[in-house]
Amino acid sequence: MSDAMLQLDGLVRHFDNVHAVDDISFSVERGKVLGFIGPNGAGKTTTMRMLATLETPQRGDARIGGYSVLDEPAKVRRITGFMPDSAGVYAHTTVTEYLDFFARAYHLRGAARREAVDSIIEFMGIGDLRDRNVERLSKGLQQRVALGRALVHDPQVLILDEPAANLDPRARIEFRALIRELAADGKTILLSSHILTELAEMCDAIAVIEKGRILATGTVQEILVRMRPRRTLSARFAGPSDGVERFLLEQPGVVNVHEAGGRMRFEFEGDDEAQAALVGRLIAGGFRILEFTAHGADLEDLFIAITKGRVQ
Amino acid sequence: MSWHPRVFAWLERASDWLNPIVVKEVRQFTGGREFHSSFGVSLMLGLCVAFFGAAEAISATGTPGRWTFGALIGCLAFFGLVVVPLGAFNALRTERLEQTLELITLTTLSTRRVVIGKLLAQGVKLATLFAGLAPFIAMSFLLGGIDFVTILVSMLVLFSWALWVCAVSLFLSSLIKTRAISGLMFGAVGLMFFLVVVILGVPQVLFFVLSRGGVGSTGVSVGFVGGSLPWWVLAMATTFCLVSMMNLVLLAENRLSVPSENRVTPLRVGFAAQFLLLVAWVLSFIGEPVPTRTGAAEALAVLGGLHLALVAMFTVTEDLVLPRRVAMRMQEWSPVRQMLAILSPGGGRGALYVIAQMVILLAAVRILRPSGAGMGFSFAVCGYICFFSGVPVAAFRLLRPAAAAAFQLRVAVLVSLPLVMALPDILYYMLWRPYSFDINFATRHLINPFRTLANWPLVESKNLFAIPVVMGLIGVAAYSIVIGAGLKMTVESAIESSPSAPAREPGRADVY
Repeated sequence: MSDAMLQLDGLVRHFDNVHAVDDISFSVERGKVLGFIGPNGAGKTTTMRMLATLETPQRGDARIGGYSVLDEPAKVRRITGFMPDSAGVYAHTTVTEYLDFFARAYHLRGAARREAVDSIIEFMGIGDLRDRNVERLSKGLQQRVALGRALVHDPQVLILDEPAANLDPRARIEFRALIRELAADGKTILLSSHILTELAEMCDAIAVIEKGRILATGTVQEILVRMRPRRTLSARFAGPSDGVERFLLEQPGVVNVHEAGGRMRFEFEGDDEAQAALVGRLIAGGFRILEFTAHGADLEDLFIAITKGRVQ
Repeated sequence: MSWHPRVFAWLERASDWLNPIVVKEVRQFTGGREFHSSFGVSLMLGLCVAFFGAAEAISATGTPGRWTFGALIGCLAFFGLVVVPLGAFNALRTERLEQTLELITLTTLSTRRVVIGKLLAQGVKLATLFAGLAPFIAMSFLLGGIDFVTILVSMLVLFSWALWVCAVSLFLSSLIKTRAISGLMFGAVGLMFFLVVVILGVPQVLFFVLSRGGVGSTGVSVGFVGGSLPWWVLAMATTFCLVSMMNLVLLAENRLSVPSENRVTPLRVGFAAQFLLLVAWVLSFIGEPVPTRTGAAEALAVLGGLHLALVAMFTVTEDLVLPRRVAMRMQEWSPVRQMLAILSPGGGRGALYVIAQMVILLAAVRILRPSGAGMGFSFAVCGYICFFSGVPVAAFRLLRPAAAAAFQLRVAVLVSLPLVMALPDILYYMLWRPYSFDINFATRHLINPFRTLANWPLVESKNLFAIPVVMGLIGVAAYSIVIGAGLKMTVESAIESSPSAPAREPGRADVY
């Protein structure tokens, strides 16, 4: 039985003639991180807003922790933390007061509220900012406080719209670790980002959306295999590499062998097992391998290959 | 342990029972400069007024207490009717522009609690300003020339009005969404409040109304010593403020709620409660002599008619297609709740809601005047309401039942009124070309509801019922069309809103 915390089933949302979200379905299991990627105007934010119960789907439904966003929005809100693309901060309010207000708004009372605020401050590593005015923090720090706000009621599901948009490189690394920690803690996370390399490192799977439709879903590797069945490999050998080219061409699945920069570069069609077998045969054939590298396409290549850059 | 930490700990515990918005707003305004500045300025003004009052007392001329209190009320009115309401306007405006309102919507706080919290926070602000000036007001009493009841009632009435203006500000603030419009509106609202206070001199009017019980020239206590007028003024002011504040809160809630939620039912309940209060008040005259009952029945027909006309303009024009979430919830209703469907969204149900209240109005008039006299006027009021609110809507809904056009229909209803007011005379002068301009009531004016109702005795004496009756019947027919279209759309919405509506294949994906 699947342990899906987040289940979208045929979500549809149109704005006049614009099909912002057009029949989207996927699920995310408990403790998993799903990256939601797509060009601007693809329908990411609308989908996330429907999951956060701020918009109603015109068709289909989504369930979060088993609760319908259509029928049980109050229950969904209790177990969901949503972080929109703008931080949303208050003037003349310290970080503690800001988090305290949202804890109160989620009906946390007395000691439970104070503990929730303290633990979020500690978890987010913003203890030094406790008494700082939230409005005067840098955008990156505001983003961090906003994530704290989304977590203050200990939600089971997190929906984060462009959470790393304003973060500096160091903050991004810390954010990545934070997301993995939250996932390890059992939280299910759906996050969108334009920084694709980071998504690849953070997410267990990705969903690519364009013009309101899901174009591809799966792990980066799975999609890669689906999109490009051949992988590009290269090897460097100790000593002269005479005969390597011929040997490689005789191997099943190997094509387009050529030498470049002292390395033999070739394309190989096969899975990981077949690749390991190929390395074994090279060694058995007496070729002394110094380096063996798989040149996988990264998420950015994948994104470009899948999407057409169409906007509505 | 010193008393400070204990007091703060107690306050912290007590704040758990407060509306979170009040806690946040109070923290915000005590942390900001605006409130400190206005509080400081009010204290300075109070000090200056007290100083001049004391100087006048030493010179022993006039009524220094009365003068001092009048000036202090003026200061409080400026802060209470201009500064604090502008703060209220800005508080909600900022919340919307900075998109923090959406973040609150995601919590377990309801939109109504948000609006009430904002209003209560303004109440705290006002109470602080009033408390700051209290020592100077006490001094005005000690200076003589004004009695305690006048001071107390003036302060309470001013406080009620100030809170009411804050509710108006919150409602106005809820109407706007864009930064540019909100800036314009902020300026306009500020100017309007300032003009009301400074040019119209509201506090002076208030003060003189309250002190008319006994104005002494020198040294005589001014006010309504022993009279019941101040308490009547207080009762009327607070009743009006509370009832209309409830409406303003509900209207602001309606504007701020997420469109997918049911934003209509609280408003309908609120306005129906207000209508029933009006009916109950009028029915309290049932044991009175005939002239009093006749006056009460006429008052009900006019006030109730005005109330229903406004309500009809907004309810009958509502869109017929319901938000999906609302449609789904309505399907799950028990038979008992189905009976309360007229309080639910949708123009069709809105028409039923108005008709139900018309029946109550007619029944109340009949109870007050068992002879049946005056029923024609009440029927005419209802008929005209049905005609003007129903015909444009029915005509549009026959063509496009599912279109979202509430705003356009409201404009159409509003435009149709001045048109029929001017059209009879325009057509008459164009077609008949009379030599003189005759503005007296004539048969051609029967399509003008205001003139017809204002000249109703003439209509009755000349038996000119045909046109109002025909218009009323057309109005009722139009309402029937809207109700029918509403029912049809509800059934269609129920099918559309089903979550089991099949999803098409391309979107399918696996579990991750």
